[in-house]
Amino acid sequence: MTGASGSGKSTLLNLLGGLDTPSSGSIEIEGRRISEMSREELALYRRSGVGMIFQSFNLIPGFSALENVALPLVFAGMAKKERRERAHEGLAKVGLEARAAHRPYELSGGEQQRVAIARALVNRPRLLLADEPTGNLDSRTSREIVTFLAELNRVQGLTVIIVTHEESLAREFAGRGVRLRDGRVESEERWR
Amino acid sequence: MRVRDHVELAVANLWKRKLRTLLTAFGVTIGIGALVAMVSFGKGMQKNVTESFRSLDLFNSLTVFSEDFMAGERFDPDRRPAVIQPSGAPGAVLDDGALAKIAGLKGVDTVFPEVRIPAVVRFDGRDEFRLVQAIPAHVTTSPMLRFSAGKGFASDEERSLIVAVSLLRDFGVQEPRALVGKRMVISSIGFDFSRLNPAGLTAALAGERLPFETEDTELTVVGVASSQAFAGPLPIQSDVFIPSGVAKRMKRLPFSNIWDIFRASEGRLGYSALNVRLKSPAYVEPVKKEVSGMGYRVFALADQFQEVQKGFLILNMVLAAVGMIAIVVASLGIVNTMVMSILERTSEIGIMKAVGASDRDVRRIFFFESSLIGLIGGAFGFALGWVVSGIINRVVNYFLAKQGVPFIQYFDFPVWLALGAIAFSVAVSLAAGIYPAMRAARVDPVRALRHD
Repeated sequence: MTGASGSGKSTLLNLLGGLDTPSSGSIEIEGRRISEMSREELALYRRSGVGMIFQSFNLIPGFSALENVALPLVFAGMAKKERRERAHEGLAKVGLEARAAHRPYELSGGEQQRVAIARALVNRPRLLLADEPTGNLDSRTSREIVTFLAELNRVQGLTVIIVTHEESLAREFAGRGVRLRDGRVESEERWR
Repeated sequence: MRVRDHVELAVANLWKRKLRTLLTAFGVTIGIGALVAMVSFGKGMQKNVTESFRSLDLFNSLTVFSEDFMAGERFDPDRRPAVIQPSGAPGAVLDDGALAKIAGLKGVDTVFPEVRIPAVVRFDGRDEFRLVQAIPAHVTTSPMLRFSAGKGFASDEERSLIVAVSLLRDFGVQEPRALVGKRMVISSIGFDFSRLNPAGLTAALAGERLPFETEDTELTVVGVASSQAFAGPLPIQSDVFIPSGVAKRMKRLPFSNIWDIFRASEGRLGYSALNVRLKSPAYVEPVKKEVSGMGYRVFALADQFQEVQKGFLILNMVLAAVGMIAIVVASLGIVNTMVMSILERTSEIGIMKAVGASDRDVRRIFFFESSLIGLIGGAFGFALGWVVSGIINRVVNYFLAKQGVPFIQYFDFPVWLALGAIAFSVAVSLAAGIYPAMRAARVDPVRALRHD
């Protein structure tokens, strides 16, 4: 998803992620009308129906990488031992098992974003939303992250929506491009 | 979210801000400490009074008056003729017959008349005016009287006397034991019947000589009582006691208060009051009823005690209210700390919501934090109240001991006070957490994540 700043990319993503609610219209994801959900239902949806990653990673600074990944499981009411196992698994998938005990500030930008990805996927959602995931990363790390996301889509069949400025990088991996302008879809095309 | 996770998260969050948590909890500590000290003081006083009532057997005691005596209390001799309307049965005079009748009632242990003899007590060259009380020997050996030194009378005819510690100071005696075995002179006053004739009275009016004569009775101190029992309802307290048999043969004025004089003029003189001891407090009501039916007035300290209890309830409430002020201030401190914490942790709240925390989860996170502050503050507050009142107790007793007051535990710490203080502290902290928790729950994740 591309578009100039202020075109509504982030708002659309927040709506899809259940963080925001539409003032009009409706949103349906996999047959679930999330625009009709109560606050409680939306929390449940965010917990297990969708994963989100952000430009600024949004990890909790006082928590270790492992604790950050396990956080959604805390709200799901999972026991501590099980949470740790699941979080370790998740970190292994993003190649950061060795960094489990590190705090976010001890990790590089790319590593932080991978921790965020592990956290977004720990509850096994079918949809991953990424809001400018490479905005704070250098080009080599950006490519790494986008490659990883594309891999998730290709291997696990996960639906990934990426909001980005870097259209050229996106074109390499994304199957479909949507351009927004002033809150409307300006164009939509198949890229690959 | 599991309770255990809530607790761990609250501990971790508070630990992260140690100083602030400590200061906030300290505010609660002071509040709870003040409350605990206040309440334990009230409770301690109440316990002391109740226990001294109990140990002196006052719950088993009744005092019986003749109707006349009570009528006199409502009577103003300056305005009305000195005639007392006997309101009871015509024979309602407290004489030996009445005593025997009351003694025969079911549940009555002992009855002895209230006999107080105005006299001068002479010892070691000093004179002290006292109302000397006559009591039967068996009462002096009952729990109604406790001794600092010596013991009670062996018989009603024993030529001995008992003094209370309060008399010691007037005679400049320090050690109660030093008085036991010493001899005192009771100088009582009686009418000089040889002068109770017109000539004698005229002489008395002329200021020549009053128609009184004095009689000295020398008695040996056998006991020094540590407390003044038989205080009864009369505003007179005796601190010199003599055996009733000895008293009977002493010269004395036939009255101990002004109403006796009026009754004497009607030829209806009896005892001014009877002290009745019952076998158990359960007999208070039935005996009271019977004796009232006989035409006497009955006074039970147990009844007065109800009033005393009410007084203590008010005292406790006032003390608690004072302690409460500190709690209110402390709870404002909690609100402040929690609101600050929310402002600092807005993005953290946003993150938690983004990964699936519900409003309820967030609300509870903050409730757990504030109640944990309350728990810490309450536990330390109770400890503080306990320590401080212990110190106050020591200091007060130290100074009172110099004045001969025995050691008294002024504070009482029942188990419910410890648990209650902590529970109350947690409850107050929870209440203080309501606003911050609601505010945290309402945080808009979109705006919170845009924060940085």
